[in-house]
Amino acid sequence: MELLKVTELKKTYTSRLGGAQVQALKGVSFTVESGEYVAIMGESGSGKTTLLNILAALDKPTSGTVELEGKRLDAVKENELAAFRRHNLGFVFQEFNLLDTFTLRDNILLPLVLGGTPAAELEQRLKPIAESLGIAELLNKYPYEVSGGQKQRAAAARALITEPRLILADEPTGALDSQSSAELLWVFAQMNRRGQTILMVTHSADAASHAGRVLFIRDGVVFHQLYRGEASNEELYKKISDTLTMLRTGR
Amino acid sequence: MKRGFFFKIAAQNIRNNLRLYLPRVLAEAGLLGCFYILLTLALDSRLAEALGGSYLSFFMIFGAVVIGLLSLILILYVNSFLMKRRRNEYGLYSVLGMEKRHIIRVLWAESLLTSLLSILLGLLFGMLFYKAASLLIGNLLRAEVVAGFYYLSAPTVLFSALVFLGLDLLAFLVSGLTIRRMKPVDLLAGAHPGEKEPRIKWVMLIIGAISLAAGYAIALTVKGPLQALSLFFAAVLLVILGTYFLFVTGTTFLLKCLRRNRRFYYHKRHMPAVAGLLFRMKQNAVGLASIAILATGVLVMISTTVSLYSGVQDTLDAHYPRPFYLSAYRTEGEEITNLSFEALRGIVAEAAGEKGLEVRDVEWTDMLEVTYVLQDDTLLTRTEVEGGWEMEELTGALFITEDTYARALGAEAGALNLGKDEIAFCRISSSVGSLRDAPKTLTVAGKEYRVREQLTHFPVSLGAVAGIVDQVGVVVADEKVLEGIYHAQKEAYGAFASEYTGRIGVTFADEKAAEAVGMELDRAVEEKLRAAYPGKLSISLDSKWETRHSMLDMYGTFLFLGILLGFVCLFSTILIIYYKQISEGYEDRERFQIMEKLGMEAREVRKTIGSQLVLQFFLPLITAAVHTAFAFPILLKLLKMLMLSNTQLFVLCSLVTLGVFALAYTAVYLLTAKTYYKIVH
Repeated sequence: MELLKVTELKKTYTSRLGGAQVQALKGVSFTVESGEYVAIMGESGSGKTTLLNILAALDKPTSGTVELEGKRLDAVKENELAAFRRHNLGFVFQEFNLLDTFTLRDNILLPLVLGGTPAAELEQRLKPIAESLGIAELLNKYPYEVSGGQKQRAAAARALITEPRLILADEPTGALDSQSSAELLWVFAQMNRRGQTILMVTHSADAASHAGRVLFIRDGVVFHQLYRGEASNEELYKKISDTLTMLRTGR
Repeated sequence: MKRGFFFKIAAQNIRNNLRLYLPRVLAEAGLLGCFYILLTLALDSRLAEALGGSYLSFFMIFGAVVIGLLSLILILYVNSFLMKRRRNEYGLYSVLGMEKRHIIRVLWAESLLTSLLSILLGLLFGMLFYKAASLLIGNLLRAEVVAGFYYLSAPTVLFSALVFLGLDLLAFLVSGLTIRRMKPVDLLAGAHPGEKEPRIKWVMLIIGAISLAAGYAIALTVKGPLQALSLFFAAVLLVILGTYFLFVTGTTFLLKCLRRNRRFYYHKRHMPAVAGLLFRMKQNAVGLASIAILATGVLVMISTTVSLYSGVQDTLDAHYPRPFYLSAYRTEGEEITNLSFEALRGIVAEAAGEKGLEVRDVEWTDMLEVTYVLQDDTLLTRTEVEGGWEMEELTGALFITEDTYARALGAEAGALNLGKDEIAFCRISSSVGSLRDAPKTLTVAGKEYRVREQLTHFPVSLGAVAGIVDQVGVVVADEKVLEGIYHAQKEAYGAFASEYTGRIGVTFADEKAAEAVGMELDRAVEEKLRAAYPGKLSISLDSKWETRHSMLDMYGTFLFLGILLGFVCLFSTILIIYYKQISEGYEDRERFQIMEKLGMEAREVRKTIGSQLVLQFFLPLITAAVHTAFAFPILLKLLKMLMLSNTQLFVLCSLVTLGVFALAYTAVYLLTAKTYYKIVH
């Protein structure tokens, strides 16, 4: 089933002085099937952050459409956007974006609380997720008391707890050491195996090699894509590396 | 590197951070200006001459000291705030290759520039407003001579400048030390240290609660003005301590209780607000407590000084049924009564005639005032009391005969027809309030009298007596009874016993003209008395205008100081709030951005911010109102010592002050909230 459909997405920024125009996205189209694990790769400035912001309904495209389960994002009213994000999307950010005034428990529960879930229900939603992510023991700690990897797992738990249609991850391993990265990617793979759709933006070939499909963006267009097929992580990693080399050298 | 280079950077920095530096410069200038004005008022000899006020210098210097202390606190507070905000910048310098000593030199240049700017502005402000201030105080004190002075004295200018230069230097040293102790990495991390969850400090919480309760208890249970005076500062200190401690730990305690209540806490509006406040309070408690205390100070200061000042006429009317009194002491057997009465009346009439006044009416009263200890319904001389007695039990009893009573009341007198062992009793002033009933019987000098009549008004008074001790008035049947009481106290007190007081009260045909002549009449009468009775009798003169003059002198000074200090406090409050809000705005920006990404609606963000702001803003104001309410009883007693007993007036003044203050406060709130939203969004 088609979960996300992106059609001819364009985004043009006009600088405030001089009116010089910068085209961040020049017509991006792709679809994501339900249950898929898609990685989007590209260098800095390739437009992947812009793309992610538009997918998250934090930014609006100049032209083109984004549909989530057939519903166009631009048809969602301004005052319903927050609720829409809450119900459909889960976020994992590079800098974790955990609130330092909340314990991990409260950080994870925040989206539910914002959505008005009754207090009695909260703990039973939290428990299985915290256990599967291995942070059940840390729930009463504050973000500054735990490691980067633990923080990112808490952030993942926060994204998962609303049971969103789609998880958007922005460089989730960007601030992690290799050990923590590996753990997080394993967590993502687990999540995906249980049917969670994930869209991850990264420029780490290692991170992308855990995905089922890799989209390459360059200069604002989808330049290439790789399917895992029957390949192992290592084989996919090799393919990704080759593609990146090709992207850099040959046109 | 050349010196000029550092100053160039410093000037650039100040320009870039104008939003942070401008309020600081203006605040310091304002404080310095007020400091300068007070100091100049204290030292301006022409003003002192014109006003003839002896209190003036003392209280102006007192005010200057208060402002100096306040400046010290404020400058250090603002400085620590500036350092926190600008740490990153200094960190960047060190990354760019500046050594710490260079950074400190930049800091030095910045401090010097802001300091000089503030001081120059402040002196200018002070000199400009000095005339206005001297006019105001002249007006308040009703001294007609004062047209306002331009006054400039090099020592005052120099001294004010030096004091504030010293304060700024201190602030610089504190910042310099902070920078020296830090590693460059810390400087960079600066504004974002890993915050720890605040803990409930139980000891502090308990001490705070106890000292607040003790302060309130003192204020509520204090018995008389004397006790009020001796315990007032203790109560103030206790309440200040309690306020600080409770703001620091009590708020944490409450918020944690709220957080523990899962049903309440896990709600979309409560959770971000409670958690935000929990951490916010840790940094802000001291600032908020300071605001609460400053606000209380403003409320108390302005309401008391305004009611004292505006109550002068009331007080005078209450204490001076007639505008002019002469009192003479006489010992028993001296044939002073008739002789002196005529003589004194003659002297007054003559002096009045010289000033173009006509005496309308002269009243003669003969009375005996004795100080007793009033226990239950017995007036005991101090020698009769077994064991000790309380200050509050000291009572001045004013005895007159029925004759005198009838004469004093004139036409309105209903005959009392007292029997030999009957009296009429009146509580002239009582710290417990005139609500308390008169006793059924009163025992004086071992003899029990039946209280036949309870009077609400006593027609004779000793003029303006400060209401330190309670006063009762007693009307006895005749001279014989009075003599008995006189002898008894004479025996008990010996050399310290009271004598009869003979007093004439004068009214003039033209009251207005008499008021206009005022103290000149007093001087003329005094002169004639000296000529007539060289050193023989102790005659004291007590006039309404003399008392008005000294009251206005004192309360005008108080009011001036109250207004000025109230203004300074309000100013400081605004400053603290402004800086607090800005620093929080920067910190909250990120937090709310994250929450919006997680699906918090913009409306909710606004509401959460709003509820946080409102709580932080109005908690101190409410605290101040509560403090003031509790301070009421003790303040009333203190005011009583200053001869103000018009409770209604005081309540009214307090309410008006609170209203005005709340309005100003709300205006500041709205303004800051706007800046805050701007920063956050």
